Amino acid sequence: MKTFEEKWTAWVDGQLNGRELSEFEASLPNKAAAEAEKAGALKLGELLKRELSARTLTNEEFFSHQLRENIVRRCDAGAREARSTWWTIPRLLWTGAASLAVFLVFTVVVMHEKNPAEESQYLTQILNARVDPVVSPNASLSIFKVKQDRVTVLWTEGLQSLPADYAAK
Amino acid sequence: MQTEATPAQADVSELDLVRRCQAGDTEAFDELVTRYRTRVFSMIYNMVHSEQDAWDLAQDSFLKAWKSIKRFRGRSSFYTWIYRIVMNVTIDWLRKKHVKGAGAEFDDAIELREIDPSSRTVPKTEALPYETMERNEIRGRIEQAIAQLSAEQRAVILMKEIEGMQYHEIAEALGCSIGTVMSRLFYARKKLQNLLRDVYENI
Repeated sequence: MKTFEEKWTAWVDGQLNGRELSEFEASLPNKAAAEAEKAGALKLGELLKRELSARTLTNEEFFSHQLRENIVRRCDAGAREARSTWWTIPRLLWTGAASLAVFLVFTVVVMHEKNPAEESQYLTQILNARVDPVVSPNASLSIFKVKQDRVTVLWTEGLQSLPADYAAK
Repeated sequence: MQTEATPAQADVSELDLVRRCQAGDTEAFDELVTRYRTRVFSMIYNMVHSEQDAWDLAQDSFLKAWKSIKRFRGRSSFYTWIYRIVMNVTIDWLRKKHVKGAGAEFDDAIELREIDPSSRTVPKTEALPYETMERNEIRGRIEQAIAQLSAEQRAVILMKEIEGMQYHEIAEALGCSIGTVMSRLFYARKKLQNLLRDVYENI
């Protein structure tokens, strides 16, 4: 269903015919005024065409020249952008992998050095070097470290003398 | 100097030129630009009423056409297709300008009014011929009247009256229905008739 505006426009432009035309013209309350309005619209069209068609493009060749330059510039910029995009993807991957590696290394080192909460603050290390059982049968050596205070205590028991070779170490 | 091609020439090899453009041939695109640059510029100028802006918008439109030429499927004529780009670019620009409220749109008209008649910018000739003055005045009136239309109404009436495009071509170029085109045309004509009645009745 066409609106009045659509029918009017079609009527002015001579696009109505047959039954549609006769029905529309019959529906007009004042046909003479409508005809005058239509004539005015056609005159307006002629005026616009005559006055506004004359505008021409000066420097046509310069227009094309500038456009060609713009196209070349945009193409170059597009290619650069594409290249930089392709570089970014591997760069991102490498950055991600490197970050992960650094994170893992730090995690391992830090976690390894950190005291578990349930352990004593004293870390006891039994020395591998053993005192000669013939010389000091009941001897034992222990080292206590207090990490927080950076204190190391060497605890000896039953030691009668320190072996010369051990002392040298 | 190259000249604008006739419609007959355009029909013969336009599709061929488009195919070559789609393959990246800039010379073929240059040929299409040569065919349509004046019409495109003129259309934009009548919408924006500023030569510099019309030039820039025409450049922008052709650039966009080049960038999207691969998407042209040939369902409509190249002319309708490029008009769609031109209209999108120009209407967007007019809307932005309207939103910014950067003053009146009649840059050229303002310049004409602001120029001191005795300044050196006026060509050193005797008084302008009466006919030229009258014609300039009429054009000024027309441009002022058109500036009172919405961007969409301007586009519709210019495409219909200046370019002689059919309703369906205008609808395709503007991406709206034929009914909308006819409705916009109705209101644009009414408004222009009210504003320019004394002009077209006295010629």
